[in-house]
Amino acid sequence: MISIQALKKSYKNTPVVDIPQLGISQNESFGLVGNNGAGKTTLFRMILDLVRPTEGEVQINGRNGQGNDEWKHYVGSFLDENFLIPYLTPDEYFKFVGKLHNYSDADLKHFTQKFEDLFHGEITGKDKYIGDLSKGNLKKVGIAAAFLGNPQVVILDEPFENLDPTSQIRLKQLLQQERQSRSLTYLISSHDLNHITEICERIVVLEKGRIIKDLKGTNLLAELEAYFNA
Amino acid sequence: MIQALFVHSWKKFTRSVSFSKELATHLFLAFIALTLVGYSLALGFVLENIITKGLKQADSFQFLNGLVLYYFGFEFMMRYFMQNLPVLDVQPYLHLPMKRSRIVHYLLLKSEVHVLNILVPLLFAPFAFTTVAARFGTGAWNWLLSLWMISIGMHYVILLFKKGWDDTLPGFLALIAFFGLLGASDYYGWFKLSEVSSWLFAYTVQGPILLLIITLFVLLLYFFSFRFFLHSMYPDERTLQKTTWGRTQDWSFLNSFGAVGDWINLEIKLILRNKRTRNVLFLSSFFLLYGLIFYTRDRYTEGMPGFLLFIGTFITGIFMINYGQFLFSWQGGHFDFILTRPVSLTQYVESKYWLLSGVTVICFLLSIPYVYFGWKILLIQTAMTLFNLGVNSYVIMNMAMWEPKKIDLGKGTTFNYEGVGAAQWVMGIPILIGPYLFYLPFSWAGYPTLGLLAVGIVGLIGIVLRPYFLKITTQRLESRRYVIAAGFRKD
Repeated sequence: MISIQALKKSYKNTPVVDIPQLGISQNESFGLVGNNGAGKTTLFRMILDLVRPTEGEVQINGRNGQGNDEWKHYVGSFLDENFLIPYLTPDEYFKFVGKLHNYSDADLKHFTQKFEDLFHGEITGKDKYIGDLSKGNLKKVGIAAAFLGNPQVVILDEPFENLDPTSQIRLKQLLQQERQSRSLTYLISSHDLNHITEICERIVVLEKGRIIKDLKGTNLLAELEAYFNA
Repeated sequence: MIQALFVHSWKKFTRSVSFSKELATHLFLAFIALTLVGYSLALGFVLENIITKGLKQADSFQFLNGLVLYYFGFEFMMRYFMQNLPVLDVQPYLHLPMKRSRIVHYLLLKSEVHVLNILVPLLFAPFAFTTVAARFGTGAWNWLLSLWMISIGMHYVILLFKKGWDDTLPGFLALIAFFGLLGASDYYGWFKLSEVSSWLFAYTVQGPILLLIITLFVLLLYFFSFRFFLHSMYPDERTLQKTTWGRTQDWSFLNSFGAVGDWINLEIKLILRNKRTRNVLFLSSFFLLYGLIFYTRDRYTEGMPGFLLFIGTFITGIFMINYGQFLFSWQGGHFDFILTRPVSLTQYVESKYWLLSGVTVICFLLSIPYVYFGWKILLIQTAMTLFNLGVNSYVIMNMAMWEPKKIDLGKGTTFNYEGVGAAQWVMGIPILIGPYLFYLPFSWAGYPTLGLLAVGIVGLIGIVLRPYFLKITTQRLESRRYVIAAGFRKD
């Protein structure tokens, strides 16, 4: 699904991402962990064609992501508040993005119903602008919007950050549910080892821009904790 | 401690994403300011001669005093358009052991560094020290200082106005009323402003009383401004704009235009729901009245028809200039959104073109009544509108791509200043000069009407070639998207 070849990004001759090869297959639940400044967000940005790589390329479904808009139809993402429109209410925002995906009103309703649990009554049906929402609620709007358009790939950068404990659990359930109902590839980064090992079957550890570990299997949490304890 | 704030301000400027653009703009402004200073000084020195020998007035002092109030009216206008609100992103400093009063004093002091605050001494000092001193001795000091104090007082009045009233309907009406009255009283001669002025300022040389009163007043204004700014240091209160402007729904007729219509709808919401963009809109509608000042005077309509091109461009294109130069910056806060959604940049750029054009056309329609002053006016405005639509729109859109900086709509701005000020006008200069390139050759050859026609035709060509120009603009945006996006991500 996503193929990364010889990808490098340097700022003023300091490499921040250096990945010779990385492949993420369809229906894979891929987790990304690493210390602060390890390059997780930069990697995601390069996959989403927000940052131009110094070298190498990212291929989505066999085609280079750069310079074409096709992948945007089936890749949903949420990295930070720059993905939200602060002067719209969440309802208006969902409607707007829905339009980009040719959603009908019924589609939109079906969509928001899915997230009602997560929203906890604070997001939809309110007259509050996104810009006035708390950080946690902002995240919820963004995460939900990433699922608009029934994407095949969903990329989330630290989705559990800023969420209250109930919401974290609900989000986890939602992510797992979605994957069960259809073919879905996740790219999720997180600092929360517990959550990410529960959702993802494959975890990649990034340090100073390089892949240090590529783990699969059942003992993920123990291995990760051992690594970070060192 | 205040020094640290100045140092930070300097660092912010030099490390800014738009550094080279802002540097160029500020250098240009500095150049203009220097020229202004030079001319003012020169004028100041020859005032005496102009009045007594050129205008053949016997008492130069009395004559000049008569004009002083008019001068202040002029200065008020200049201040409104040229003076910026001092802005500091105060949040990083609020939780530090730094006295809030220090911050406010810093803001107020910083705002004083402006060429407009030395205009009075430049213009009037030479006259004061020669003519006035000769006649009234030390009274000359009272005179000069009184004038200067009034000028500084106005500085704070404008500051207060812009801070408190700028976005509100009462403020807007007050402004119109003020300028309206000023113009009307002059036009209809309701009271001899020059006599009042003359008497008032002649009085200053009698003794320091008037000066003291004025100074007291200015100190009060400073104190008032201080309190006002101090109370405005709660960042969350800025965003609690409970206006009804924003509750706009989509404009349904735009829905039938597909994605382009959706983007225009979004931008309309942006403009109406955010203070700064609302301001730009107000300003643009305010400038529709510009014609009343210039079209009524034969001096302009008959004597300098070329100047009217300028007015025409202004009246129809003011929104394009003020909003358009930050075209991509307004939405800079969610540029990443645009880049990661199935949006074609072509549609995005096109929607912006239609927004700018739409408002320009609306301005044109609203300015049609100016035909009252003559068919020539209508002709000029039509030609200018066409030129704005067919040439200036593309120019502005492309200029907006030069190192754009994110405008944080919610929390004030990320600029060093807030609101419309001198720097914004600089960006408008190419727009205003453009038409002349086509008009002047004909005008100098003696065929001004043909010149107008030429301008209009060039505009029409630009309109017809829209797909081509939009394609070029989109390509430019496409090639710069990474740099622009990175710039927007910075705070």
